[in-house]
Amino acid sequence: MAHAAHHAPVADKTELPPERSDIGLLRPDRTTGLLDWLTTVDHKKIGILYGAFAMLFFLLGGVEALAIRTQLAAPENAFISARTYNQMFTMHGTTMIFLGVMPLSAAFFNFLVPLQIGARDVAFPRLNAFSLWTFVFGALALNASWVFEVGHLAGWFRDFAWYQSLTYTDFAPANGWFSYAPLSGTFGQADAALHAPRFTGVGTDFWIIGIQILGVASLAASFNFIVTILNMRAPGMTMMRLPVFTWMTLVTAFLIIFAFPAITVALIQLMFDRTFGANFFNPTNGGQPILWQHLFWIFGHPEVYILVLPAMGIVSEILPTFSKKPLFGYPIIVFSGAVIGFLGFAVWSHHMFTTGLGPIPTAAFSLLTMAIAVPTGVKIFNWIGTIWGGRVRFTPPMVLSLGFIWMFMLGGFSGIMHSAAPADAQQQDTYFVVAHFHYVLVGGVLLGLMAGLYFWFPKIFGRMPNATVAYVASGLVIFGFNMAFGPMHYLGLAGQPRRTHTYQAGYGWEDWNLVATIGAFVLGIGVFLAFANLAWTAFRGRRCESDPWDARTLEWSLPSPVPAYNFAQTPVVATRDAWFAHKHGGPKVGALDDGGPAGVHMPSQSWMPLLASAGFLIVGLAVPMMAMGIPHAGWAVVSGLGVLFLGIWLWALEGPGGYQLVTPAATPSPAPAPAEAAR
Amino acid sequence: MTSVVRLLKPALLALVALLATGCSKADWMVRQSAMDPKGPVSQVQFDVFMATVWLALVLFVLVGGALVYAVVRYRERAGQADAPPPEQGHGNPLVEIGLIMASVAALVVIAIPTLEAIWYMEEIPAERQPDSKLAAWYKGAVPAEAADEVLTVDVVGKQWWFRFEYPQLGLTQETKRTVPNELVIPKGKVVRINLRSEDVIHSFWVPKIAGKVDMIPGRRNHMWIQADQAGHYYGQCAEFCGDSHAYMLFRVVVLEPAAFAAWVESQKAPAPEPAPGSLAAKGKQLFAQKTCIMCHRVAGHYEASAGFGPDLARVASRHTLAGAWLDHRDPAAQAAIDAKGDTEVSAPIDPALQRRNFHDWIGSSGVLVDAAGKPLIPQDIKPGNRMHYYRMFNVAGLRETKTTLTQEELDAIVEYLMTLK
Repeated sequence: MAHAAHHAPVADKTELPPERSDIGLLRPDRTTGLLDWLTTVDHKKIGILYGAFAMLFFLLGGVEALAIRTQLAAPENAFISARTYNQMFTMHGTTMIFLGVMPLSAAFFNFLVPLQIGARDVAFPRLNAFSLWTFVFGALALNASWVFEVGHLAGWFRDFAWYQSLTYTDFAPANGWFSYAPLSGTFGQADAALHAPRFTGVGTDFWIIGIQILGVASLAASFNFIVTILNMRAPGMTMMRLPVFTWMTLVTAFLIIFAFPAITVALIQLMFDRTFGANFFNPTNGGQPILWQHLFWIFGHPEVYILVLPAMGIVSEILPTFSKKPLFGYPIIVFSGAVIGFLGFAVWSHHMFTTGLGPIPTAAFSLLTMAIAVPTGVKIFNWIGTIWGGRVRFTPPMVLSLGFIWMFMLGGFSGIMHSAAPADAQQQDTYFVVAHFHYVLVGGVLLGLMAGLYFWFPKIFGRMPNATVAYVASGLVIFGFNMAFGPMHYLGLAGQPRRTHTYQAGYGWEDWNLVATIGAFVLGIGVFLAFANLAWTAFRGRRCESDPWDARTLEWSLPSPVPAYNFAQTPVVATRDAWFAHKHGGPKVGALDDGGPAGVHMPSQSWMPLLASAGFLIVGLAVPMMAMGIPHAGWAVVSGLGVLFLGIWLWALEGPGGYQLVTPAATPSPAPAPAEAAR
Repeated sequence: MTSVVRLLKPALLALVALLATGCSKADWMVRQSAMDPKGPVSQVQFDVFMATVWLALVLFVLVGGALVYAVVRYRERAGQADAPPPEQGHGNPLVEIGLIMASVAALVVIAIPTLEAIWYMEEIPAERQPDSKLAAWYKGAVPAEAADEVLTVDVVGKQWWFRFEYPQLGLTQETKRTVPNELVIPKGKVVRINLRSEDVIHSFWVPKIAGKVDMIPGRRNHMWIQADQAGHYYGQCAEFCGDSHAYMLFRVVVLEPAAFAAWVESQKAPAPEPAPGSLAAKGKQLFAQKTCIMCHRVAGHYEASAGFGPDLARVASRHTLAGAWLDHRDPAAQAAIDAKGDTEVSAPIDPALQRRNFHDWIGSSGVLVDAAGKPLIPQDIKPGNRMHYYRMFNVAGLRETKTTLTQEELDAIVEYLMTLK
C-alpha cells in the first residue's frame, strides 16, 4: 500500500489526468466500456469475464454433446459422419474440461478469493489479466480448427497446393480429449524432412498447441492465487479461519502447478514426434505409446480433482449458510481436501487397468483408488453433519447444493465399482464409465457451479436471479441429467463401448440410447434456461441488498456490487465465519486505519497482458497452419512469439503505476450491515 | 419441503427405472452383456462387480437415508425464519473418526475379492491346467514342445480388424494361413491369448467370456480365457482407434473340442478350386489383375502377399465381413433367437445376404463404376479403411490411384469369394 502515487487521492479514476507509463506510453487508465474490459486488472471484472467466456464455451460444448446424442439416438444413424462424430466427442470433452469447468471455477477464484480473505486484489493483477486472455485466445485457437474443418468440408481449399498435398484431411481434433499415441503421433521412419508418417492430420496439431496455451493460462493463474492466499490475508485471517472455498482454491492451484507440467512435457514430446520425427511414442523405432498414457493420466487424474474441488468448496459455503450452522468438522473437511489432492497423484493408473500393468501395480492402484473414496466420503458425511441439527432454508443455491451431494454420491458409488480392477476390465471404455464421470462432473461439478452462480450472483451484480425460473431450470437439469446418464449405466453393462459413432440394432441398446438422447435435450434446455436467467439477471434483475442470504464470510460484509477497492478499510478477523459471528453476537469484524481520504493504492490498467496473450493466439493459429504446409506459416509462428515477448518486455518496463483511490472513512465502531432486517 | 421432493423424485425415478430393467433378466442377456458370464474369467469379474454393487447399495441406503432424513427433519418450518440461529456446533471428532473407520472397513470388504480376482485373472489357475493341455484334448498334430501347453492364440489388432493366429497348430503368417475376425476356440478349455498391435492401440473384449485387455504396439500383453458354452459370442474393439473404431467388431465361435480339431484341418487346407470356365474362375483371375492379391492371401491360390489385409481362403465360411460389421445372417431370424436370451445360438448364413454384403463392401467408396466411370456406391462403409484408401499407405505411387470395377468384374469376384468356404 505504500507505493508512491503520482497523483493525489481521487474518488474516481476518471478524475485522473492521462498518465504515461515508465516507458512513456499512455496507460489505458481513463477508458471505460470495451477498452476498460480489455485492459482491466480488477479481479472482479476479470472474474466476470472468465465466467462469461466459460458459459459461452459451456454452451458450445453442450451443442457438441447434443450432436453426439442425436447421432446415437438410433442405430446406424447417419446424422453426422464417423469423422465428425469423433471430432465432436473430442472437442466436447476438451471444451467442457478446459474451456467450461476450469474457467468457470477460475471465475469464482477471481471474484471471491480476494473478497473472502479481506484483500483488495490478487497478488499480481496484470498476471491475472494475462491468464484470462491467454485462456480466451487459447480457446479461440483450439476452436479455429472448426473453421478449417468447415472450409475443408465446403471445399474452400480445393485449389491450393498445400491442401492437395495433404495426406490426412482431419482439421478439427479427432483423437479424444486423451489423444492416445500412437494414434495422435507417428509410426514408421521419418523422411529426410524429419516427417514421420502419421495416423491423423492437423486437427491433432491444433489440439496440442491449444492445450499447451491453455496450460500456460492455468499455471499463471495458479501461482497468482497461491501467492494471494498465502500472502494477502487480512489480519487475523489465519489459515484455519479461511473460508473452505478459498482452501479448496489453494489445493486446486497446487494441483494445477504439479499436474500441468506432466501434460506440458507430454505435449512437447508429441509435438516433437509429429514435427521433427522424434521417437518418444513411435513404436516402430522403439518409442513407448504407454509412456503417453502415464504422462497424460498423471496429469489427467489430478485434473479430475481440479474440476471437482472448487465445486466442493462452493457447496461447503452454501450448506452452512442455508443450514444456519457452521460447517461440520471444518478441519477434517480442509484436511480431506488436501488428502484428496495428494492421493489424486497416486491413482492415475486406474485409467490404465486394461493396459497390462501386471498384478502388483494393478493391485496397488486398486487399493489406492479405494482409499481416495475415504476422504471423499468424509466430505459427504460432513455435509450431512452440517445440515444435521441446523435449520434448512430452501433456496435455488441450496437445492442445487443438495442435488450436488446426491448426484456426487451416486457418481462416487460407481467410482468404487471401477476401483475394483477386475470389474473395471468389463467397464473400462464403456458407457458405464461415461455414466460415472458425468454423474461426478455434471451431477456434481455442474450443479455445484450452478449453485455457486445463484448464490453469489446477488453479490456480483447486486441483483437477485428469479427464483421460480431458477427452480424450473434446476428441475430440468436434474431430471434431464438423470434421464440422460442413468440409462448409460445399463448400456455400459450391456456392452456398449464409448467413442463409437454408431452401433447396430440387435444388441439391446436401442431403447435406452433414445431415452438418453431425450434426456440430454431436457438437460440442455435446463442449462440454457439457467444461463439465460443469469444473463437476464446481470442486466435487468431485481436489485437486492448486500447480504440477502444472511451469509457467513467477509464478501457479504461489502456493498453489492462490490466497489473497486473492495474493502474501505482492511478488515480484522477474529474468528472463522467472521461475518456471521459479527452479525449474531460473536466477535466483531474490526478494521485497520487505512483507506479513507488518504485513499488506497489501486493498480493501473495495462495493455500488455492482452498484447502478450495475443502472441499466443498467433502462435496457436500458425503452428497448425505450418503443419498444413501453408507457405510462410513458419514466419507467422516466429512473429507470434515476437508479439508474446514484446508484450512481456513492455510489461516489465512500463512499471506497475497505480493511483490512490479515496474510500469511505472508517466509522468509529463498525456497524452491522442491514442484513439483519434483510429478509 | 416441496423443493426436496422436486429434487429427489427424478433421481429416485431414474433409479427405480434402472432397477426395473434389472428385474427383467432378458435385458441382461443381450449379445454383448457383461452381466451374463459364460466363462470363469467373466464370472470372477462379475462376482467382484456384484460385491461392489451390494456395498454401494448398503452405503446408498445409509448415506442417502441420512441425507434425506436430515433435510426433512431439520427443514425450516413456518414462523422460524426470524428465530435466532440454531446451536453453532462445529463437529464431533468421535463421530468423524468413527465414520472414517467404518468407511475403511467397508472398503476392505471389496478389497479382498478384488485382490483375489486380480491374481486369478493374471495366471492360468493350476487346477485348470491338466484338462486344458493340448495333449489332453486336441485330436490332431501338435509339436511335442506344445503338448504340455494350453492352446495359444496370437491376436493382432489393425485398423480396423482383428487377425488371429494359432502358432501351435500351424496357422500363422509364416505358414500363410491366418484367421481374420472370427476367433474359433474349443469349449471348456483354457486358451492363452497373446495381444499385439501393428498400428495403433486396440483392445480385445468379449464381455461374456472376459473383460478387455489392450493391444498396444511395441508391447506384449496377454490374458487367458475359457468359454463354458458352445456358440457364437460378440466382441468389439474397446479402445478408440481412429475413424472407423465403431466398425471394428469380431466374433468368437466356441466349438466342441472334436469340431475344433476338424475346423483347424479345414483352415490348413488349400482353398477349393473354382470350376474351369465358370464365372468364379474368371473372378479368380480378376482377383489377381485388380490388385486384390497385394494385400489378401487365398491359401493354395495366391500366397505371395505379406498379409496386410485379411486372409480370404475361408471368407465365405465366416458369418461376417468387413471387421464383422456386415452380418450375413438373416436379422429377423437372429432377432427371434436373441429374444429368447440365447444370443449364443446363431442363425445360419443367408447366402443371398452374404452375396449382397460382398458386393456392397467391395464396390463401396466408389470402386464400382458404370460405363462412364461414375461411382455407383460412392459412400464409405468403413471410412478411411485401408482397402479403399491407399492414401494411408503414404506410398507415392499408390496415393492417387484407385482400382475400379465394372458390374461384371465385381460380380465375378463376388462369385469367386462365395466359393471360398
